[in-house]
Amino acid sequence: MFQFFTLMLKNLRRNILRTSLTALCSMLLVLVVTGVWSVLDFIDRQTEEKANDFKVLVTEKNKAPSRLPRAYVSSLREGAARGPDDVKPEDYMTWAFYGGTLDPNKMTRENFLFLIACEPEKAPTMMDELDQLNAADTARLQDAIAKMKKQANAVIIGPEQLKLMNKKVGERFTVNGLIFKDLNLEFEIVDTFPDAAQRYGQTSLMNLDYLLQGIDEYEAKTKKKIANGADPIAFVMLKVKNKEDYEKLSAQIVNSPLYNSPAVRCESAGSAVSTFLESWQTIFWGMRWLLAPAILGTLSLVIAVAISISVRERRKEIAVMKVLGFTPGHVLTMVLGEALLIGLISGLLSAGGTYLLVNKVLGGIPFPIAWFQRFFIPTNALWWGVAIGAGTSVLGSFLPAWNARGVRVADVFSKVA
Amino acid sequence: MLARISRFDLSRIPQYPVLYGLLAALLALVLILLFVGRVPVSYNVRNLVVRWWITTMMVLAFVLVVGLMTVMLAFVSGMDALTGNSGQPGNIIVFSSGANDEGFSNLALSDVSNLERTQGIAVDEAGQRLASKEVYVIVNQDIPVPKGSPSRRRFVQVRGLEDAPMSAKVHGLELLPGSQWFSEAGVEQTSDGQQVLLQCVMGKGIAGELGLDRPGRQPLAVGEVFRMADREWKVVGLLNSTGSTYDSEVWAKRQIVGERFGKEASYSSFVMRASDIKQAPQLAETLKKSKEVALNAMTEESYFESLSDTSRTLLLAIRIVAGFMALGGIFGVMNTMFAAISQRIKDIGVLRVLGYSRTDVLLSFLMESMILALVGGLLGCLLGSLCDGWTAKSTVGGQGATKTVVLQFLVSQEVLAGGLLLSLLMGLVGGLFPAVRAMWMRILETLR
Repeated sequence: MFQFFTLMLKNLRRNILRTSLTALCSMLLVLVVTGVWSVLDFIDRQTEEKANDFKVLVTEKNKAPSRLPRAYVSSLREGAARGPDDVKPEDYMTWAFYGGTLDPNKMTRENFLFLIACEPEKAPTMMDELDQLNAADTARLQDAIAKMKKQANAVIIGPEQLKLMNKKVGERFTVNGLIFKDLNLEFEIVDTFPDAAQRYGQTSLMNLDYLLQGIDEYEAKTKKKIANGADPIAFVMLKVKNKEDYEKLSAQIVNSPLYNSPAVRCESAGSAVSTFLESWQTIFWGMRWLLAPAILGTLSLVIAVAISISVRERRKEIAVMKVLGFTPGHVLTMVLGEALLIGLISGLLSAGGTYLLVNKVLGGIPFPIAWFQRFFIPTNALWWGVAIGAGTSVLGSFLPAWNARGVRVADVFSKVA
Repeated sequence: MLARISRFDLSRIPQYPVLYGLLAALLALVLILLFVGRVPVSYNVRNLVVRWWITTMMVLAFVLVVGLMTVMLAFVSGMDALTGNSGQPGNIIVFSSGANDEGFSNLALSDVSNLERTQGIAVDEAGQRLASKEVYVIVNQDIPVPKGSPSRRRFVQVRGLEDAPMSAKVHGLELLPGSQWFSEAGVEQTSDGQQVLLQCVMGKGIAGELGLDRPGRQPLAVGEVFRMADREWKVVGLLNSTGSTYDSEVWAKRQIVGERFGKEASYSSFVMRASDIKQAPQLAETLKKSKEVALNAMTEESYFESLSDTSRTLLLAIRIVAGFMALGGIFGVMNTMFAAISQRIKDIGVLRVLGYSRTDVLLSFLMESMILALVGGLLGCLLGSLCDGWTAKSTVGGQGATKTVVLQFLVSQEVLAGGLLLSLLMGLVGGLFPAVRAMWMRILETLR
């Protein structure tokens, strides 16, 4: 067995140029497929329904963006539970959005800031991936949240956003409100999201109370209603144990007489994300069913060409091997094995290299889709690379290997003679 | 594709000098190789035919790469056409101060009254000012799902209008035959008098999209009723398809849209046609600087241009993917050509002995790879061009603004030129190094 493996390695070494070109081609195409699948994998994970720790979004039923009156919040946090048998959420988080520009005379991207106004203490348990930080990052986040609880105008801003704004932790700045027009608020940056929380690179958190207080003060001072001030809440996020509780809670809320104007909608977080990504479905479909298969097809063809050439050049050698006692099965295995070796090694190297390059050097694939800014290569990609390399090499080399298996000694030597 | 070639518009060439310049240079190179090289073309063609299995696979690889790129570029091209067709020359769109999009804009009713009196608004043949007061909202529509499946909804863009025929005129739209505008009240009763239906007019794109919920998946037609936001809506008219974002909108009476979706006391936008089209940017700037009321105004063309961020992002992504695929393809071509040379070392020696120069050998092998690329590229373009006219749901957007749209894939002449250019570049780079290697082979060594 080992000798057979050595023979395959020697065969690959005989034409280093061809082996290298095939491997390079494999690596490049595996890189693209890995990138494409990483984006799709992330999107799939965001839209899948979880069996446990079900997150539920309560939004305005008929309109987007959703706007709920603040009077809804306190009862929604309780899941509109009224009787002892009603389901109560395990946790909650209220979201409102406050956006504006740092310089009203220069409305550029770097001057635009969009903040999530919420109860900051709920971030670690209710925002995805923040509960998976290591001890040091969790402690740092808790520290920043404690500062936000003490200081109403404190904000946490993602490192990428901070860089875009050209600001540092400790700096103060004023946002000129656009969503709540003319509501200008002053902030102080108390920390950034930890680097490990990569998806929050452009996210900013502020105190919900500070926003609501700002609206009240503005209206009291100017004696006029602020645009969107009557219904400033975007949605309330609730957490329940499982799907069964979600369904009960959903019925409780939707049928409650408390939420008639506007009516509310209750849906799982996965379903809500799916809706927002609905208009991207053609692009995702194209990536999944056109782009990735076409690249895999191209890779198989390139491998098929390389192996066909190799078999064609070694017909005499294969005939000699048969004379020496190698069976057709041996020949088939040898040719398939050579292709498999190239595929496996180049697939692994490519996926590993892509993982390091994208996650550690580039800081993600910058591909803004909906509110996702960057995509990272998951650790699963390491086996994807191996699988793609192996799969396409076996697929591409099967026909040439089958032809090699069928080489007839008499035919080869009659031509030589 | 043949139709596209027959409609080839030479006047567009100066708009894309790099694309057409490179393509012309590479096609010229193919011609030069064909006519300048002294080694007969039939020699190369026969070699490709003899190695038909490898040739076929290599051409197939080209077809896949170029075909895929054509489809991807046709999608982006459709997106660009959509935003490009949506803005009318001379139209100015006005939002509330600070807002860059209809979704965030809240124009007070009094501000719009003032805007209607702006000097420099064009008038139609009846002497009416070409201006449109609009409310724009995004409405959630529940999508029917099988029992037990997660709930689904879609976003439908609804535009509320004061004077729909005038708005259509401002946006360059017309009703299709058999259609009519909604009534002054914007509602009607069912024949049995039991129910009040909200009247609406819609673009063909959204009519097709909403029709997907029905068993036959047929687009909604005039007279049909659909459910949205807890009410029944009746389609009284369909807009002609102009390939603009308005194809993906539902239009209804402003009062109805405003009341139902919390915009009863404001407008989202005010669109007007400048009497002098060339003066539209200046007029927009004047409105923006107005001291009476704080507004944001821009030409409609520049507004829709600002919605091209999505297509720019996609185009960049496609270029990167195409770059990697092309590099992979180049390695594939190199492999094939190096193998072709190693199999024909003796041929090269014989050619040299017969008096063909090193350059002739170089040109001969380079031509072989270019023929492969040209054939693969043309077939790839042909395959990819089958997507022309496909419709797809997508999103267009820019800074803080997005619109859900139904767009058509557009295989433009630039898309085909891009596909062919990629193919020829792969052939050139992939074939060059093996050809150079063949050129430097010594006669004695090749014949040994």
